[in-house]
Amino acid sequence: MALIELKDIYKEYRLGETRVPALNGLNFFIRPGEFVAVWGPSGSGKSTLCNLIGLLDIPTRGTILLNGRDSAAMDDDMRSRFRNRSIGFIFQSFNLVPVLSALENVMLPLEIQGEKTAMAHQRAKKRLESLGLGKLTGNRPHKLSGGQQQRVAIARALITNPDLVIADEPTANLDSKTARQIIDLMLDINRTDKTTFLFSTHDQRLLDHVHRQILLQDGRIVQDRIYSEPSGKKKETGCDLV
Amino acid sequence: MTWFKIALRNIFKNGRRSFFTILAIGVGFAAVNIFGGFESYIFRGLRDALIYAQGEGHLAIFKKGARIFDKEIDPDRYLISGDAKASARKIVTKYPEVILMTGQLKISGLLSNGDVSTVFIAAGRVPSDMQKIRSQGHGMIGEIRLYTGKPLLDSLSYGIGLSSGLAKKLKAGIGSDVIAMAPTTDGQINALDARVMQLFESPAASLNDKLMFVPLTFAQALYDTDGNDRLVVLLKNTRMAPAMKKRLNRAFTDAGIDLEVKTWEEIAPFYTKVKNMFRIIFLFLFVIVLVIVVMSIINTMSMTVMERIKEIGTLRSLGIKRCGIIWLFAMESTLLGFLGSFLGLGLTLAGWLAVKMAEPTWVPPHITKRVPIEVYLVPEYLLLTGFFLVMLSLIAAVLPARKAARMNIVDALGHV
Repeated sequence: MALIELKDIYKEYRLGETRVPALNGLNFFIRPGEFVAVWGPSGSGKSTLCNLIGLLDIPTRGTILLNGRDSAAMDDDMRSRFRNRSIGFIFQSFNLVPVLSALENVMLPLEIQGEKTAMAHQRAKKRLESLGLGKLTGNRPHKLSGGQQQRVAIARALITNPDLVIADEPTANLDSKTARQIIDLMLDINRTDKTTFLFSTHDQRLLDHVHRQILLQDGRIVQDRIYSEPSGKKKETGCDLV
Repeated sequence: MTWFKIALRNIFKNGRRSFFTILAIGVGFAAVNIFGGFESYIFRGLRDALIYAQGEGHLAIFKKGARIFDKEIDPDRYLISGDAKASARKIVTKYPEVILMTGQLKISGLLSNGDVSTVFIAAGRVPSDMQKIRSQGHGMIGEIRLYTGKPLLDSLSYGIGLSSGLAKKLKAGIGSDVIAMAPTTDGQINALDARVMQLFESPAASLNDKLMFVPLTFAQALYDTDGNDRLVVLLKNTRMAPAMKKRLNRAFTDAGIDLEVKTWEEIAPFYTKVKNMFRIIFLFLFVIVLVIVVMSIINTMSMTVMERIKEIGTLRSLGIKRCGIIWLFAMESTLLGFLGSFLGLGLTLAGWLAVKMAEPTWVPPHITKRVPIEVYLVPEYLLLTGFFLVMLSLIAAVLPARKAARMNIVDALGHV
């Protein structure tokens, strides 16, 4: 079964009296374990698509199925719960809570779940150690480098063992060396934990390593290429749809 | 715990803004409690002046209807006879809460020095009982001497006290002899010689050229009666007055005695008026403080929300529900309320201590001597103010917090 399935998705924004179409009838699905990037020029609808899949926004029309569940049937609280348990977010500017330490930031999704503090503390610490941040757990975000902050953000996204991680331009604010480390880290997690990653990016450094690329233009998919299967098996298929 | 940390650390992060909000709450808290403490001091001072210094006691027993009809028209009808007083004493003194019961008779007539005559009104009281009542007063009331000269004595029934204005009118001083004239209860004119034992200032300026204090036996002799217009009861505790009133009224009814009991508050309209006036001033002050506190918290929380829109978007994307966002900001605001109340408690204690050390004095109503101004620490006021301010802080946060919770997540995440 597909992890994510989009059926005839439209999204329009209103700017005063004007309706601005952002997505125009998207249809595609993502299978569990995929490492996929949605790319395209600015204004092509990449972020809008990620926001809809991440249940941060609601489509104007169409159906989004997440693990077979129709997102339209969920109210705001259910969507919040689903985000907390099944989706991890990584942002371009890391979006760590400035008054919390690295450890406390990673504990946040667990605390939202209602996990006991001691248990959340233990799990978050373990996760940070696995990402090489064991010595920086007490540091607040302003005392961490960009790469370290993004690692903390990745740890936070993964702490609940989500089915899907959505990353919006995760490498855009990083230098080449750090970007490469972050990409390798995410690839490693995808490989070992079979966590599905969905990127919104136009960073070639990242696009070179994804297993599937979906090219958006003017809110439409114009190209969908798969370079390897979630199993790791090499496969070069795909087509230009326009 | 994490939510508490976020709230607390954000308060310290915006240190200066939080400080001024906490200061506004603290100053408001202190203003309400220092004024409330002064108000309590005034109420207690007035109450004790009435009950102890003026010897009105906690309860006054009248003949039924005496407080409704003008007893001056037919004084005999509303006087409590000696027999009725004895029956009442048997009932009243049974209660262990009672310290004493004493009779009083208010009289009026003419006072003359042989050359000049002028109107007087006088309270006829048992001097030893008055001394006992005054000695039960707390603090200054028990110690303060409100006259010059000698105390009135039970054994010296013709020894009287004059208000200074009355003495001046009659050119009388301590030791002077005067003549008191008044109609008896039968309507005959009666006159008695008296000697001025003491001079005092009347609590009410308008009575300072009319008021005298006389022994009860003098008043009764002048009116040619053994009656009293009231029986004053002193209790061990002022708080017992309403309950004792009920019990005594019931006991009098059961015994078939035609008497009714009033509490000291019921026969002291001045006290009630002053109390009401202070309550209104207090209410005004309280409302002003509340408005300032609410406005400053709404302002602070609105700015906090504005500055943390991106954080709100992040928290929502991590799965926190709308109510969680409201809870987060409400907790921050409540913490401000707590810290402000805590500061206010400190400021109140500092104010209380400053007044205690400076010992300012004044002449309160119903007392003619300078007495120290005091500010009481009233635990009920402290607790209630703290509770109100914390609750208000919570309520004041709801509006900005709701706004934060209802934000579109995508817009919030994109906020710069």
